[in-house]
Amino acid sequence: MRPSLRNDLVIGAIAIVVLVLLPLVSPSKALIDFVIRAASLGLFATSLNLLIGYGGMVSFGHGLFFGLGAYSFGLLMQRTGMPIPVAFGLTILNCMMAALVIGAICVRLKEIYFAFLTLAFQMFLYSLIILWVPLTGGDQGLRGGIPRPPFFGIDLADQKQLYVTSGVLLVAGLILMRHIVESPFGYTLRMIRDNAMRAAFLGINVFRIRLIAFVLAGIFGGIGGIIMSLFVSGAYPELAYWTLSGEGVFIIMLGGISTFLGPLVGTAILLLLNDTVTRFTEYYGLVLGSIILLFALGLRRGLTDVLVDYWHNSRAAQAATERS
Amino acid sequence: MDLASLVSCFGSSACLVTQVTSGLIIGMLLFLVAAGLTLIFGVLKVINFTHGAFYMLGAYFAFSIFKATDSYVIAMFGAAVATAVVGLIFERLFMSRVYGRNMLMQLLVCYGFILIFDDVVKIIWGAEFRSMGMPAIFQVPPLFIAGGVVPPFYLFLVSMTTVIGVTLWLVIERTRFGKIVRAAAHNPSMLSVLGINTGVLYGLVFGLGGLLAGFAGALAAPVRSLTPGMGFSILIESFIVTVIGGMGSIVGAFIGSLLIGLIRTFGTVGFPLFTDGLMYLFMVMVLIARPTGLFGKEIA
Amino acid sequence: MATYRRSGISRRAVVEGAAATAIGILAAPMISRAQAKPIKIGMPTILSGRVAQLGTSSRNAVMLEVDKVNATGGLAGRPIEMVIRDSKGQPQEAARVARELINSDGCELLIDAEASSGAFAVHEVARDLKILCLHTNSETSSLTADPKQRIPNAFRVCRQGIHDSIVGGAYSANVANAKKLTKWMTCSPDYAYGRDTTAQFVEYLKHFKSDVEVVSEAWPKLFQPDYTEVLTKILQTKPQALYSCLWGGDLTSFIEQGNIYALFTQTETFAVNMADYTALTVVKNLPKGIHSGNRYIKTFPKTAQNASWADAYRAKYNEYPTNWVWQNATAVNFLSAAARKANSADGTKLADALRGLTIDSPFGSNGKLTLRADDQTLIDYAVGWGTTIPTEPYVPDVTPGDWRQIIELETEWKKKNNYT
Repeated sequence: MRPSLRNDLVIGAIAIVVLVLLPLVSPSKALIDFVIRAASLGLFATSLNLLIGYGGMVSFGHGLFFGLGAYSFGLLMQRTGMPIPVAFGLTILNCMMAALVIGAICVRLKEIYFAFLTLAFQMFLYSLIILWVPLTGGDQGLRGGIPRPPFFGIDLADQKQLYVTSGVLLVAGLILMRHIVESPFGYTLRMIRDNAMRAAFLGINVFRIRLIAFVLAGIFGGIGGIIMSLFVSGAYPELAYWTLSGEGVFIIMLGGISTFLGPLVGTAILLLLNDTVTRFTEYYGLVLGSIILLFALGLRRGLTDVLVDYWHNSRAAQAATERS
Repeated sequence: MDLASLVSCFGSSACLVTQVTSGLIIGMLLFLVAAGLTLIFGVLKVINFTHGAFYMLGAYFAFSIFKATDSYVIAMFGAAVATAVVGLIFERLFMSRVYGRNMLMQLLVCYGFILIFDDVVKIIWGAEFRSMGMPAIFQVPPLFIAGGVVPPFYLFLVSMTTVIGVTLWLVIERTRFGKIVRAAAHNPSMLSVLGINTGVLYGLVFGLGGLLAGFAGALAAPVRSLTPGMGFSILIESFIVTVIGGMGSIVGAFIGSLLIGLIRTFGTVGFPLFTDGLMYLFMVMVLIARPTGLFGKEIA
Repeated sequence: MATYRRSGISRRAVVEGAAATAIGILAAPMISRAQAKPIKIGMPTILSGRVAQLGTSSRNAVMLEVDKVNATGGLAGRPIEMVIRDSKGQPQEAARVARELINSDGCELLIDAEASSGAFAVHEVARDLKILCLHTNSETSSLTADPKQRIPNAFRVCRQGIHDSIVGGAYSANVANAKKLTKWMTCSPDYAYGRDTTAQFVEYLKHFKSDVEVVSEAWPKLFQPDYTEVLTKILQTKPQALYSCLWGGDLTSFIEQGNIYALFTQTETFAVNMADYTALTVVKNLPKGIHSGNRYIKTFPKTAQNASWADAYRAKYNEYPTNWVWQNATAVNFLSAAARKANSADGTKLADALRGLTIDSPFGSNGKLTLRADDQTLIDYAVGWGTTIPTEPYVPDVTPGDWRQIIELETEWKKKNNYT
């Protein structure tokens, strides 16, 4: 096993153990809800970063897969009551097929036109969700809750177990995505990001690599949607609206693109902001807007970028003082 | 789906006149907003997501000025100028710091401002929706043209937007300022070499965009309910228009706006429940066929 | 003294709190005995965005009533402390906020002032956490009518779509008979409320007058600013009568834009949400003769209690009461009555007491309101239709609905939908 993968697995295992023990130390139920939502959005944002940060493909329509995941899973559970792992698998399959079709059309386009077309596709799906009332419940979404039959002794109707499961999904998803990014495929993807023409001249099938990245991103985005649908016990059109794609982009910018975990940090920042600010004021927009400006105009990069730069600078300063 | 009504509408002159004029009404207002958006992109290579907020400010300024002066003309021009100033300040103080950076950073700045503007409007004017009311001269019954119904206010709106549009075209095509703007779109570095203050120029272009959006807001105010966040829907639509027409092309924005207006009006007749979806479908089709939009990337 | 946590405590609130304390001390010696632990009630609602007025007016109403309840000892001796939080109108936020209020903020029950999709989300939280929840702003009938949705600890304390449709249909059929209106058209917002309400209205209109024909429909988007294409479609169709369930800012825009097309002089208009001060006081050129159902109007019921209640609200908050206001006030009143009946503020005991409970209320059709036991929803509230005039009191006369007829037709409707 590659040493980096082994390291990641060890870190992942430790993270899961910490997650399991945390509720014993701090009885806060808000923490449990927070982690579930962070897992959902964190997977979504990290998958989007596969496209934006590692692929150089700015998608404005990634929320499509989040919504698709939530609705597919919710509908399967409501209509058929099948075992959760089966619904999970089918939902992933669904996201994969959608990503394949949409990706094949979109990834040929450059930069901003790719962004527009992915957005158009997402809004088209949104219109369908609103229109197809007998299937999706229209603008009211899937109501009445989704059944969560226990499987392998795990009962996702129990919030604590959902918490652990989301944590495991998050860690597993992150490790998988990191593995993808550090693999030869990932390197090729980054080469294409940096100079697509040169990559093409080297004989790389740019279209195929980009499409695979798009599909992978779609799958993990969909898993984020599944977790959210379990959290709210349903699915709502808001989960497929373009503002979610926008949130994904902001999370990545807030967290920073220079590290793999940047999007996860960004997710935590946004959720913390959201939860604390709404407790104290109804002028959430003013506060969030100001903080966004602080990052965009002041820091000009995400939080992890700042930390990484600081670390590099202090190392360089240290090396300089050592030399002198 | 109601294709029978759609077909019968095409056969009736009254229906055609009414629907085409309403398509014009929707389209011309949209054009004012989209023109500013596409102009800013063409020259500054920046997508101004705050444009919807400019439109909103234009409407609210017009509301307040009208309340204070009881003159719609003053309200209209006052609102346009005030919004132009906001645009200028916004560009000089904030947008100029993120030129050349990642498009996402620019987007972030715009989004931050949308949130701030929406809440500022809420604080100043309140969260409840407001209504400006129709100025007295327009409170007259509608005209009948070839059997179709045309309210005088909308006649005014279409003429006003046409005048503004033609003026804009003349400014861009025939004045020295317009020449500089066009040059900036093609080769900005050459301009500074020639001694032209690009900073001021960029500010003026943004101000011009703000002026157009402010006019649009002021023209829409008598027939809308004003509410914080009202910029969103017109932002999305003008965005779609500029994408379909081609970012940077004012002619494209014009054609795109008219197309969207007509899709909306005839779509409501034939596909009352899917009109929005129709618009997105059209956008998808244009982007697949011509990713750069119908009229490419150049100005005017 | 009523205490509550909200965004920034204003000086006004402090002064009012002090005044309430003074009144409490003077009016009820029982106050000194209310040393019991306060009962926190969570209230997820919409305080920002387009529909912010829903939340702000609901909050006002709740605080007005909570002050009165606390002045007389609170719920079974425990003073109420409201914890009101903004969900921004997003259902997943509503779910999170509801959970947070219960899990982290120590709230023991919920007054859910969310609009319908948020209400369904909060409903699931109430189902999972098994706490008492009073929905005050969701008019979607299926929330309580559908046995699959129903849970023993959730109640709906507000008007319901099906009731409104029955009353509207009956009234409109009378007008249609008198004025021979057979060619109708509808124009309603394209979302669940708009579609369901319109469909139901048409169904009952036809039930009472079978020769009505709806020749065309327009479905503008919710919050759509520009109704031009919709208005031209209406003018093309030239219906004798027009029905619309547009509301709030949309209705205002529609009326303003319709005026310049002189629509309302050509067509008899039935706008179910017109008789609401949010629209009546905002529209600059209100046409006369628009038929409307009451949302909340000071003149209906035509009683002194109702008028003085409206005046008190207006005096305190310097705004007209909205439809959301009477519903939220009623929720507090029911809680107070239930606590007295059960002599407890425990959620389960309150729920048992609420089932089938009748209270006196200025908003009742006969001075009383009841929470029906079998589907835990509000009945006997004042519902009726009238026509508008351009100035105060805006809707001087309202024809009340007949509750016997409403219940009879509602029962048939439930059977038809297999809701029994």
